[in-house]
Amino acid sequence: MTDTVNAATAKSVRANLCKAIESGKLRSVLPILGFVLIVAFFAIATGGRLVQPNNVRLILNSTYVLLIASIGVFMIMSMGSLDFSQGSMIGLSCIVVCELSQTSLPLAILGGIACGMVVGSINAYFHVRRQIPSFIVTICMMFLVRGIVAYLTTNAPAMGAGYLQADLNTTGFLLPVTIACLVAFYLVFTFTPLGATLKAVGAGQTAARFAGVSVARTKTLVYIAAGAITGFAAFVLAIRNGSVTATGGSMLETQIMLALVLGGLPISGGAKVRFSNIVVGVLTYCVLDRGLVMMGLQTDMKQFITGIVFLIFLALFSDRESIQVIK
Amino acid sequence: MAKQLMLRAVGIDKRFGPTHAVDHISLDFAKGEIHALIGENGSGKSTFTNMLTGIIPIGEGTFELDGAQIVPKNQVDANHLGAAVIVQEQGTLDSLTVAENMFLGDEDQFMSRGIKNTPAMYRKAQELLDSYGLGRIKASDPIEHYNFEDRKLVEIVKSTWFKPKVLVVDETTTALSQNGRDILFDVMRTVRDDGRTVIFICHDMSEVLMMSDTISILRDGEFIATVSASEVDESKLKTLMVGRQMSERYYREDYGCPLTGDVALSMRKVSVPGQLEEVSLDLHKGEILGIGGLSECGMHEVGKALFGASYDRVGEVVLGDGTPIDSIDTAINHSIAYASKDRDNESLLINDTIQDNITLPSLRRMGLPLRAGELRDFAATYANVMSTKMVGVDQFVSALSGGNKQKVVLSRWLGAGSDILVLDSPTRGIDIKVKADIYALLDMMRREGKAILVISEEIMELIGMCDRIIVMKDRKIAGELERRPDMTEQDLIALMV
Repeated sequence: MTDTVNAATAKSVRANLCKAIESGKLRSVLPILGFVLIVAFFAIATGGRLVQPNNVRLILNSTYVLLIASIGVFMIMSMGSLDFSQGSMIGLSCIVVCELSQTSLPLAILGGIACGMVVGSINAYFHVRRQIPSFIVTICMMFLVRGIVAYLTTNAPAMGAGYLQADLNTTGFLLPVTIACLVAFYLVFTFTPLGATLKAVGAGQTAARFAGVSVARTKTLVYIAAGAITGFAAFVLAIRNGSVTATGGSMLETQIMLALVLGGLPISGGAKVRFSNIVVGVLTYCVLDRGLVMMGLQTDMKQFITGIVFLIFLALFSDRESIQVIK
Repeated sequence: MAKQLMLRAVGIDKRFGPTHAVDHISLDFAKGEIHALIGENGSGKSTFTNMLTGIIPIGEGTFELDGAQIVPKNQVDANHLGAAVIVQEQGTLDSLTVAENMFLGDEDQFMSRGIKNTPAMYRKAQELLDSYGLGRIKASDPIEHYNFEDRKLVEIVKSTWFKPKVLVVDETTTALSQNGRDILFDVMRTVRDDGRTVIFICHDMSEVLMMSDTISILRDGEFIATVSASEVDESKLKTLMVGRQMSERYYREDYGCPLTGDVALSMRKVSVPGQLEEVSLDLHKGEILGIGGLSECGMHEVGKALFGASYDRVGEVVLGDGTPIDSIDTAINHSIAYASKDRDNESLLINDTIQDNITLPSLRRMGLPLRAGELRDFAATYANVMSTKMVGVDQFVSALSGGNKQKVVLSRWLGAGSDILVLDSPTRGIDIKVKADIYALLDMMRREGKAILVISEEIMELIGMCDRIIVMKDRKIAGELERRPDMTEQDLIALMV
């Protein structure tokens, strides 16, 4: 008797849950729920070590570069485009930052940003002017720039000036800088037409054009801005690592895109894009990564499990209705 | 003699989120009849037939076809079960040949030992095309070699050659010329005389009365009545559809309104390769200027050119004070509005909210910082001015019916404070009630001194609403007519062809 009642309750709960997911109301909080679940799971699995101050600081340290670089990719993905060149871009910018840091700090920062903007504008030229789909353009760019990075670091890694790591690699400097970047972007995204414009391009380029959005100009500026932001993230990476090798920043593009998708960003961009996707996504990704390390998993095993977790997240959370062709 | 039953729908029901699209409809269709389904946009006609033909899953209820219950899994499955449909929008697939489109999902009949006999398929397809009087269409050609109308005709063959028990014709005639309509009507009559059934969805009441034997009326997803076509007239049908008495005339009734000398926008010798050749015209303040012509005459490009949206435009588009309009940006900054014929792709962000759609062109004029509450109020205000039927401004446009989508487009430009409106096919696929709303709005804006250009394929609309009508033919202006009470369709048609 109780069993049937329980079964009936469970069934109605599940039906309600499904309805809520379908209606899209729940979907916006699912990523946050996922983040809480991941934290809870690893907190228990590591016997509470995950939430000890030491580990929290380690996790925080691993978020800076990702958080900053995600801002640019977030803009690109809001428009329904993709960018695979971010990892190699950050590698190249990081070399520029390291070399120029020997001369002066402001020059190093500007140099890194300029380098990112150059790569971003090449992406924009081929994607916008030559009308090539963004994922192909940026995959080509990924190989091209990675080649340059490898060439420049053939004999020895590019070494940053000593003060980068010695003086600046502190939570007291990096945390405020990262938060400042996020807050600045949040304000621009929410309180100027930028957010609506990006979403409109993602929701439908042609209709956006007929509503007065200059699609080509927007895309071009966004790719260049994303390059600039990644160039700045390269400065933070240089502070964290002190030097760059041939693999500097490799796989960063995948990490960013997966983090954003974990944070609930629709792959096709558009109306359902939220600023919170960046923060929730990157934090989830970094906790997952750190948690697996703390459980003593080897790299190969870690990748294996990360892959499974992603697929589960995507299967549960992604909004299949609005997925269209990726441009 | 009572007719035999072909199809019985029992308690058919469908919801899309909060929208109750079809509300427990039970309906019988007899053998050997053309049975029209009529109702306003969003009354549930297409949703009902889409369930029957496997395009969307059945929500609740059952369909019994010729005595057996059917639950079609998809369109091909529905065909095999005996229910076929010619859909409202494009129903053929690019990059396949005509024959491949015709036998899509049905290729097995040409298979032997795992190999497809392509020549046999082409032969059979060509025989079928010939038998429908469409010999000029070649079965082996890629379908994209043909225009919208021919593709629609191929679809008619595709949906009927296997003699389905029930054929649904969903708002197909609007895509066809007179010749194409005749072919379609012949097919419909053949199906009926063969003792099978046609379900005919159509907004044109005279066509409905001409073609059907029985007419069923739906309103807001509910079944209202079934009547015999011989017992009703147009006004009776309209009353049943809308649920209240409609005034017979909804066009303007004033004549002899003088033009103001104030030119709002003009085109000077504008050419667009393949679309327009040296077109010049003046649009005055306080007038409704109509542009008519056959579908391919170039008139739709006039709207794009005026809005700065044409690629490769030669010649000038200028405001009354001489300011050139060369891009959508300058057009919007000088309060020009444009509603495209292709509403779902060019006018609206379908996968976005009503709010985002209404506010987008106005963001540039709003002071920073933008506030969420103000944007919501702005959108709600203008959506309500147009009495848009919606759950709230955060509802997605994709969930709205055609008429309400167009209301969102107009709300957007009302919100942007547009003084010059360029409207391409403003009432395409829209029911009479919303049409009347739109005509009333146009007349009101005209009296406020706004300049309105209406590009339309509906001749009666041009005659009823416009102060002047420019008729186009072969990318050029063929003539101009002044508003007068005794103008007839023939006056315009004579210039068009």
